Amino acid sequence: MALLGLLDREPSHGYDLKRDYDTFFGRGRPLPYGQVYATLARLARDGKAVTGETEPGAGPDRKRYRITERGRDEIEVWLSEPVPAEPHLQTDLFVKVVLSLMLGRPAEAYLDAQRTAHLRRMRELTELKQRGDLVDALLADHGLFHLDADLRWIEITAARLAALAGEVRA
Amino acid sequence: MTIVSAPSGVEAGGVILEAQGLVLSFGETPALRGANLSVERGEVLAVMGPSGSGKSTLLYCLAGILTPDAGVVRFDGRRLDDRSEKERSKLRRDRFGFVFQFGQLVPELTAEENVALPLLLGGMQRAQALASARDWFERLGLEGMERHRTGEMSGGQAQRVALARGLVAQPDVLFADEPTGSLDSLNGEVVMDLLTRAARDQGTTVIIVTHEARVAAYADREVVVRDGLVSSTASATR
Amino acid sequence: MIRLGLRLSVCSGREALVRVAVTAAAVALGVGLLLCALAGVNGLHAQADRGAWLDTSAQTAASTSGGSTADPLWWLYSVDQYGSQAIDRVDVAAVGPNAPVPPGVHTVPGAGEYYASPALTRLLESVPASELADRFPGRQVGTIGAAALPSPDSLVIVIGHDAHQLSRVPGAVEVRGIQQTLANCFSCQSNSGSGSGPILQWILAGAAVILFVPMLILIATASRLSAARREERFAAMRLVGATPHQVSVIAAVESSLAAVAGVAVGFAIYLVLRLLLAHVQFTGAPLAPDDLSLTGTDVLLVVIGIPIAAVASARVGLRRVRISPLGVTRRVASPPPGAMRTVPLVAGVALLAYFAVTGKPQGNGSQLVELVGGLLLILVGLMLAGPWLTKMGSRLMTARANRPATLIAGRRLLDNPRAAFRSISGLVLALFVTSAAIGALGSIVASTAQVGGSRSADTVAAQFCGLTTSCDTSNSVRSVPAGLQAELEGVPGVRTVALIHVDPSPADRMNGVGVVSCHALAKIPAIGTCAPGADVAAIGFFLGQNEAAKSPALTVWPSAGLSAASIAGLPVEAVVLATDGSPSALERARTSLVQAFPFQGPPVVVDAIGPSQLRLLAMIRNLTQVVVVASLIVAACSLAVNIAAGLSERRRPLSLLRLTGVPTAVLRRVVALESALPLLLVASVSIVVGLLAAALLLRSQLDFAFRVPGIAYWATVVFGLAASLAIIASTFPLLSRMTGPEVARTD
Repeated sequence: MALLGLLDREPSHGYDLKRDYDTFFGRGRPLPYGQVYATLARLARDGKAVTGETEPGAGPDRKRYRITERGRDEIEVWLSEPVPAEPHLQTDLFVKVVLSLMLGRPAEAYLDAQRTAHLRRMRELTELKQRGDLVDALLADHGLFHLDADLRWIEITAARLAALAGEVRA
Repeated sequence: MTIVSAPSGVEAGGVILEAQGLVLSFGETPALRGANLSVERGEVLAVMGPSGSGKSTLLYCLAGILTPDAGVVRFDGRRLDDRSEKERSKLRRDRFGFVFQFGQLVPELTAEENVALPLLLGGMQRAQALASARDWFERLGLEGMERHRTGEMSGGQAQRVALARGLVAQPDVLFADEPTGSLDSLNGEVVMDLLTRAARDQGTTVIIVTHEARVAAYADREVVVRDGLVSSTASATR
Repeated sequence: MIRLGLRLSVCSGREALVRVAVTAAAVALGVGLLLCALAGVNGLHAQADRGAWLDTSAQTAASTSGGSTADPLWWLYSVDQYGSQAIDRVDVAAVGPNAPVPPGVHTVPGAGEYYASPALTRLLESVPASELADRFPGRQVGTIGAAALPSPDSLVIVIGHDAHQLSRVPGAVEVRGIQQTLANCFSCQSNSGSGSGPILQWILAGAAVILFVPMLILIATASRLSAARREERFAAMRLVGATPHQVSVIAAVESSLAAVAGVAVGFAIYLVLRLLLAHVQFTGAPLAPDDLSLTGTDVLLVVIGIPIAAVASARVGLRRVRISPLGVTRRVASPPPGAMRTVPLVAGVALLAYFAVTGKPQGNGSQLVELVGGLLLILVGLMLAGPWLTKMGSRLMTARANRPATLIAGRRLLDNPRAAFRSISGLVLALFVTSAAIGALGSIVASTAQVGGSRSADTVAAQFCGLTTSCDTSNSVRSVPAGLQAELEGVPGVRTVALIHVDPSPADRMNGVGVVSCHALAKIPAIGTCAPGADVAAIGFFLGQNEAAKSPALTVWPSAGLSAASIAGLPVEAVVLATDGSPSALERARTSLVQAFPFQGPPVVVDAIGPSQLRLLAMIRNLTQVVVVASLIVAACSLAVNIAAGLSERRRPLSLLRLTGVPTAVLRRVVALESALPLLLVASVSIVVGLLAAALLLRSQLDFAFRVPGIAYWATVVFGLAASLAIIASTFPLLSRMTGPEVARTD
């Protein structure tokens, strides 16, 4: 999904895509070339991306990929739909926020929607806590604390959006 | 999701408290810029937002403690902001309850006297008021603390005393401003649990201002206040 | 509600009880002093009333009580002197059996009879007749009752005469009634022996204002003790739904409790102080203990007024909370004191200056307006301008602050100049009061005392005319038989006798100038010296003492251009006796002059202070002392009260500072600067204003020159300031203990 999003920004070579991904999303875990091309091939197969004119030069490196209408739709859907409220979601959320900033989409609204989803889940857990016995409460609290941690990240990110947008688009 | 007990819940019907277009500035600093809010009877509402957003100010306006520069506050259909200070005091005494973060109890009085204070101010006989007050102590796990001065209690105990005071007069609305702000996690949980249970038992509407998600999770729905405006998000689950 | 109030103020722990006790103590002291002042005023009035009969004049209305007073009474009043004591002498002669009777005696004494007051009776018996008793013709037939005596120690004598004789004496008047009280007293304008003259009224009014206002302020301040703590508590109650009225009631209960207790103890304090007060001699004579009483109105005023004042000031102090429960937490800083606050102070000074320039206002009423109005304006003005001055001073201090302590102290002062000033307001008032009192009264004393005391008094003179009657009138001029002069010279202790004759040239006669032979003048240096080479000198008015700038002894009288022989036959204007200076000789000289020339007015010691003046001086001295002592007591009290309040107010912010690493030494400096700056600044202003007010008042009312007070005054001021600073410094050892970390805990 991240690669597709990068394609939406501008048509690129696989080489460029990997480089961009590593810069923004890799952070210490660079993506292997093989995975890049495999994903690109799958995207092309699914009709979400197409290859453009082949540049002169040998090998698959020189193929420039472009996003399709279908691909764009999928990005749209993916961005606007909140991720199911489970703990340890930094990665997905993170990608979403950065991509939406890159693509000029309303990141703030996405964060709000995510917050609501989180809160809903927290409400469910709280009710569980109040109704159930102590063990249920312990379990619920565990989830609650992690969700709380996510929410704090959402808060602080929301406060930093303007600065983040500047960095990302540069 | 089942509702804990009747007669709370959205179905009980009607808006009990609403604010339209509230504008309030402290000197040069604007706190509210046209806030709108509607509170259903019997619901537990969380008002969230970053500090400085104006959420406490909104609460004070809803409770009639502050008068907005512009806009209307209606309680039970009648306008609140144009009533005299004396009338609003009586309203606070008989129909509202308050639980704040700190500085709300009278340190020279004992715990039971503090709880009985709204009743005493309303003219109830001393013996009767204290008896009503004492009922609450067991309910909130404060047995034996009746005669203690509030300065001698721990934070959690003091907050529970404040809660008892807030509910003793069977108010229509309970206003809470960061009720667990100065408490540790466990005490905070205890207070929130007791608060929501007791309020729902009595059918009291609760408005909680908080910046903590875990506190807001006790509410039926939440609204977010940013820069003096209320942005309401998706509706209740309960 | 009231029960709740009682519960809160009394049963809620030690701190509250201490607060009530301290307030009550301050109120008690204030009330005690107030009652003493009221009793003192009453006593002085009673004393003056009792002596009012001495001011009987021809205009005194006939009394309607007790029998018809169809017949008139001849009346002549004068003030004689024995040593430094004044003797009130009244010569009376009844025209018929129904003449008005002076108080204290059964009947009007007949010729050759007199009544004397008990003190005078004792004096007459204890000193030789040649010194005193021979002045009074006749024998004593009784004593004057206490109801007619201003004070038990008064020396009063009522001498009976034949009506024909007395009617021919210049100065005797026919009266139809005896003055009963000070009211409607036409002749009480004069500074008569009863002491009811305008100066007394003036001083009493001034003292009243000057004492009452600081006391009231002390009481008000005490009632506002630990207002901050109470504010928080009432804010919590307002939140829960207490109406502003309910809060007022509860606050009122607390204040009135302290006030009522204070009033009760105050009465006890008054009863104790009353015993001391009787010894203070305002008019040169002690007040009779019975005189020191409180009228029903006084008591009612205090018992009802003080609690009301306490309640009112508590209400004012809770103004913020009454408006909104958030009045405390959302502390929008009250606006800093504006420059308009200096207006009343400036207006008061301007008022006094106006009168000083345009002269004494006419009529008793407007005099009092000037006095009371001006002083009141200045007192209130000082109270109002104090915070503004503190603000300006702290602004200066902050702008030029180099060290942290100065900066912190300056900022804290700037933040709340009102509170800073309030703690020293009592002292500032006391300084103003002291400066004004000592400035004014000290100058009066200095001016009057300057005349005398330059030399030993050894010369007695009797002046027959030129003082109140013109020397033209034939029956006021006497010729002195030669034998009489020798007889006078023969009185033990008298060295020489000189005769001053009426000036033959009419022009000089009108100026009270007489002629005396230089031969005689040379033997009496006390009344001046001759111009060299003159045979006869023209001698001026040497018996006047009031505004004489220099002693007559230093005057060189010009030559009259006459010869000694030519004046010997002229009518005599005055007879001067020089004695050896011993007290008994002076008295003998006086007595012999009175015997030789009866009804010519009491002989006077030259270049000395007259008895009325002496009385006045004594009164002034005593009053000054009392005023100073009272105001210093009030100041000390208010300082103590405010320090107690200030300590608890400062605990939290200072302990927070200490936690962040500010050393205790710096904290001490902060507290010192916070207290010292407003104290010294406003104190200097109040001293200057006090002295200025004194100068202006003197200028307009009495035409006295203002003199800068002497060492004693400055010593008192420095002592007072030093004592205050010392009291403040004495709290330093407590500072480190009080600002420990546990205080900073958020409750």
